[in-house]
Amino acid sequence: MNVGVDVGGTFTDAVLLEDNKVRATAKVPTKKDLLESVLEAFDIVLKGVNTKELERIVFSTTMITNLIAERKYDNVAILLIPGPGLAHETYYFGTAVHILSGAIDYRGREIAPLNDREIESILADLSRLGYHRVCVVGKFSPRNTTHEKRVAEIIKKKYPDWKIDLGSLIGGQLNFPRRVTTTYLTSATREPYQHFINSVRQALAVRKIDADVFILKADGGTMPLENAEELPVETIFSGPAASTLGVQALIPPGETAVVVDIGGTTTDLALILSGQPLLSSKGAKVENQLTQVRTLAVKSVPVGGDSALQQVGNALVIGSGRLGPAYCMGGPAPTPTDALRVLGLTELGDPVKAEEAMTGLGKPLNLSAQDTARKVIEMVVERIASEVNNMFLDWEQEPAYRVWEVLQKKKVRPSLVAGVGGGASGFINQIAAKLGCDPYIPPYAPVANAIGAAVARPTMQVSLRADTEQNYYIIREEGFQDRLKDRHFNETKALALAKEKLIQRAAKYGLVVEAGEIEIIHREVFNMIRDWTTTGRLIDITVQTPRGITGRIEGGV
Amino acid sequence: MKKHQDKQTGLIFFPAFDWAISPTHPEREERLLYTRDQIFEEGIMDLPQILEFTASLASIHDIARTHFCVPRVEDQTTEAHLIAAGAAILLADRIVNGEIKNGFALVRPPGHHAMRVIHGNRGFCNINNEAIMVEYLRSRYGIKRVAIVDTDVHHGDGTQNIFWHDPDVLFISFHQDGRTIYPGTGFIHELGGPRAFARTINIPLPPGTTDETLLYVVDNLILPILEDFKPDFIVNSAGQDNHFSDPLGSMRISAQGYAKLTDKLCPDLAVLEGGYAIETALPYVNMAIILALAGLDYTKVQEPDYWPGRFKESSDRSSQVRKLVEQILHYWHMRDKMSPDSRYIRGKFYERNIRIFYDTDYIEEHQLERLKLCDHCPGYLSIESSASHGLGRSGKAMCLSVPFTACTNCRSEAIEVYHQAKKRGTHRYVYLQDKSQDIFFGYDAGSGKEWQSGG
Repeated sequence: MNVGVDVGGTFTDAVLLEDNKVRATAKVPTKKDLLESVLEAFDIVLKGVNTKELERIVFSTTMITNLIAERKYDNVAILLIPGPGLAHETYYFGTAVHILSGAIDYRGREIAPLNDREIESILADLSRLGYHRVCVVGKFSPRNTTHEKRVAEIIKKKYPDWKIDLGSLIGGQLNFPRRVTTTYLTSATREPYQHFINSVRQALAVRKIDADVFILKADGGTMPLENAEELPVETIFSGPAASTLGVQALIPPGETAVVVDIGGTTTDLALILSGQPLLSSKGAKVENQLTQVRTLAVKSVPVGGDSALQQVGNALVIGSGRLGPAYCMGGPAPTPTDALRVLGLTELGDPVKAEEAMTGLGKPLNLSAQDTARKVIEMVVERIASEVNNMFLDWEQEPAYRVWEVLQKKKVRPSLVAGVGGGASGFINQIAAKLGCDPYIPPYAPVANAIGAAVARPTMQVSLRADTEQNYYIIREEGFQDRLKDRHFNETKALALAKEKLIQRAAKYGLVVEAGEIEIIHREVFNMIRDWTTTGRLIDITVQTPRGITGRIEGGV
Repeated sequence: MKKHQDKQTGLIFFPAFDWAISPTHPEREERLLYTRDQIFEEGIMDLPQILEFTASLASIHDIARTHFCVPRVEDQTTEAHLIAAGAAILLADRIVNGEIKNGFALVRPPGHHAMRVIHGNRGFCNINNEAIMVEYLRSRYGIKRVAIVDTDVHHGDGTQNIFWHDPDVLFISFHQDGRTIYPGTGFIHELGGPRAFARTINIPLPPGTTDETLLYVVDNLILPILEDFKPDFIVNSAGQDNHFSDPLGSMRISAQGYAKLTDKLCPDLAVLEGGYAIETALPYVNMAIILALAGLDYTKVQEPDYWPGRFKESSDRSSQVRKLVEQILHYWHMRDKMSPDSRYIRGKFYERNIRIFYDTDYIEEHQLERLKLCDHCPGYLSIESSASHGLGRSGKAMCLSVPFTACTNCRSEAIEVYHQAKKRGTHRYVYLQDKSQDIFFGYDAGSGKEWQSGG
C-alpha cells in the first residue's frame, strides 16, 4: 500500500492506493502547523489500516515556492568566480555578491588563478557583517571544480561553522547565472525546508509509520526523504508535477493530453505527449528567477475561478488577482465562479448572489446576467485555450542544433483535455471544444495531485564528461573529478562507466537499478582535430533511471 | 532599418553538430562546440535583450532566386545549407517586420565564396546565405537599397560576383591582402560592373593589421560610404578569421576589436562566415558580437592570452592603410561619373570572361558574362558557363538573369533568349531567373524536361 500526500497552500490532500486502486482520499485545510494538517490527512486515509502494511509514502509540497515568493529565507552571501565574459554588474541576485579573481574556461582549464589573500579579506568582511551562509559559484565550474573546492577549504578552515554550497554540485548544467540562482535558493531555503522535513518525520513517528518515505521533485521523480535536505530546491514546483502525474495515471495510456488545473487564482497547464509528461528543456522559473532545476514543462496562467472581474469601458476584463472568494460565496467582487453558477455549470454558492454579481457587471454594457456570464466564460476559455496553443508552439519551436533535429520537427496537437482542480468541471467542456479535443474529468480529479505523488517513482541521473585530450573525466552530480586511467577510453567505455556510476549513486540512496533499464538521455561525442589529426575526444553522456509512474489507477472507492 | 532600442536582438544558433565537409576539415562538427559552451554558460539565451529562434529551411526557390545551381538546386545543397540560409531569412523577416531590432545568424555552413553560378563547393561554401537573404528581402518586401559589409579575413568574392552589376546593393569587403591569402582577389580596382561602379568596394589590408588600423578604416572609409549610400538594410558577413589566433589568416584583430567594429557598423543582420580558431577565438568573438548587437557591455569579453596593448601597429602599416583609404574614397566620389570601359563593349553588351576555381571540389569554370547595356534599367545578364571536373566536363549552361527593376524590353528579350537557347540545344542546361516576377525556369536539354519555381 502506498500513500501520496500533497501539502498545498490551501489544502492538504492525501490518498491511499492499494494494487493501483484508490482505497481512501482526504482533503483538509492546510493549517499553520504543518504537522497538524499532515496528521489530520493521515488519520482519514489510514483509518482502519495497519501501518505496517504501508510500503511507501510520497510527499509533494509547494512550501518552498511559497517561501521564495514571500522572500522568507536566510541571508546568504554569494562569492562568484566569473572570469571574462559578461560585465560583472550583470550578476545581480538581490543579495551580497562578491567577485573573486580566477577563471576556468570551457574545457575546464584554469585561465586565471585564485587570489587567497583577496578571498580572506572578503571573508573577513562577511564575518563582520554577520553572514554564516555562503555560496561559491564559478563560471564553468562543472568542467573543473578545483576553484570552488579551494575556496570552500579556505572558508572551512577559518569559519568552520559556516554553511557552504558549491555551484558545481547544485547546478551542473552549462548556465552560470542559473547556477548562481539555483545555488543561492538552495542555500537560502535549507533551514525552512528542514522544518518541513522535521514536521513530516514527526508525523510519521507519531503514527508509528516506518515505510519508505520520498519527496516529489519538479521533474516528476522522487528522492528519499533522508537525501532531500541536500537539494531542497529540486522540490520546488512539485505541485504541478503532482497533478500532471496524477492525470497520467488516470487517463488511457499513450494519449497526448493537456492537463488543465484550474484553481482559485491561477490555472496550471502541463502537457502529456504520447503518455509521457513533457519535460522543460530549460530549468524551472521560480518567481521570475531562472534556475537549473529540471522540471516538467508547466505554465501558470493568472486566471482562475476567483479572479476578480471588472468592466472597463466597453469591455470585461479578468483581473490577475484575487480579492476574495466568489461573490456567490460571500466575496467582494464578481468572478468566473459566479458566471458558472448563473449558467448552472456549478452547484457551489448562492444562485441569487451570483445573479446579482453578473447583473451588476453586465449592466453598463446592456447585457443580461445570462449573457454576461456567457461572455465571462468565453473569455476565460479563450485565454486558457490560447495559452495551451502557445505551449505546443513553444515546444515545436524549441531550438535545434543538429540537422536531423530540425528535419524531424513536427506538429503535434492534443486529443484530450483533462481537467483537474476546483474550477475544472465548469470550464473543461468548452476549453476542449475550442481546442477540438475530447474533454475528460478523470475520477478522483480533486485529489489528482495526491495520486500523482503516490504513483511517482524515484529518478536519478548521472552525467559524465570525459576529455581524452586532457585525460580527465568528471561526474557532474557528484563534483567528482579524476584522471582517465584507460588510454583507449572511448564512447562505449564512457557509457559503461556512466551506468556503473549511476548504479552506485542509486545504491547510496537505497535504490536498486538494473543496468538494462537505464535510459540514455544525452549522448554527444566530438572528435578534437588539431592540425589535421585527432588529438582527443570530448564525450558527454547523461544516463538516468527509468521515468514513469508505478502504475495506472484502475478504480477504487 | 529604424532602430528601436527597446527591442530584442534575435539570435539563431545553428552549429550543425552533425555536418562536416570531411572529418578533419576546418568546416567540421566541432567548429562551434566551444562557442556553444561559452554562450550557454554565459546564459546568453536567457538575457532579456536576446530572443532565440529555431532555424527553418530555406525553400528551393529561395536559392533559385539568387543562384544558378547546375544542374539543379537539389544537387548543390544539403539540408544543412538550406537551414543556414533559412536562418538568415527568418531573422531578416523578423527585423523587417519590426519584431526584433537586429539579429545574428550564428550558423554554419558559411556562404560568402559561393557565386551566382554554382558547380560545387568553393572556399568551404556551396550557397551564399547573405545573398539569398538579401534577394528574399528585395523580392518579398521590395526593399530598395542594401549594404553588405564583409568582415571575413578572406575576400567575399562570391557575394561580390553576385552583386557586381547591381547598383542597389553596396558590397564592401575588407580582408587580408589577396596576394597573401585565398581566394587571391579583392584588390582596390575591383569596383563593380559598368552600371554599378564603386558599388563594390574592396579594402585589402596588409597582414598583421591590428584593431587600431581596422577601426580607422571603419571610421574613415566604411562609415562615410554607408552614410552616403543610405542603405535600407545593412548586412554584416561576420567572418571571425581576422582574429590574431586564426590558423588561416595572419591578422591581429581581437575580440574587443570585433565588438567595436560591430558597435560602429550597427548592422541589421550579422551572418557568421569563416573563423577557424575554434577554441582561442570563436567563443570570445561570437560573445563579443552578440553583446555589441544587443547593446550590452562587452568590455569584459577577453581572450585568455590577450591584454590591451599586446599588438602595436607599425607606422609603415598605418600610413600604407591611410593612403589606401584615400584612394578608395576617391573612387567612391567618382561613382556616378564613370562610363563603361569601351574595350569590353560588344554592340549593346558589356562582356567579360571569367575563370573561377573551386578549391574544395577541384572544378575549373569558365564563364562568358554579358550584360545588356540598357538606358532604362540595370540590364539583364546572360552567362554561358562550362566547368571541368578533373576527368570530364559537365554540360554547358546558359543562365539568364532579369533584375528586380528590369524594364519590359530587357525582360522580354531575356525570355526570348531563353526560348531560343532551349530550341538551339547547344547548351545542356538553360535557366531563366526572372527576379522582376520572382519566377525561375530551368531546362535540361538532355531529358527535354523543363521545371519552374516561384511565380
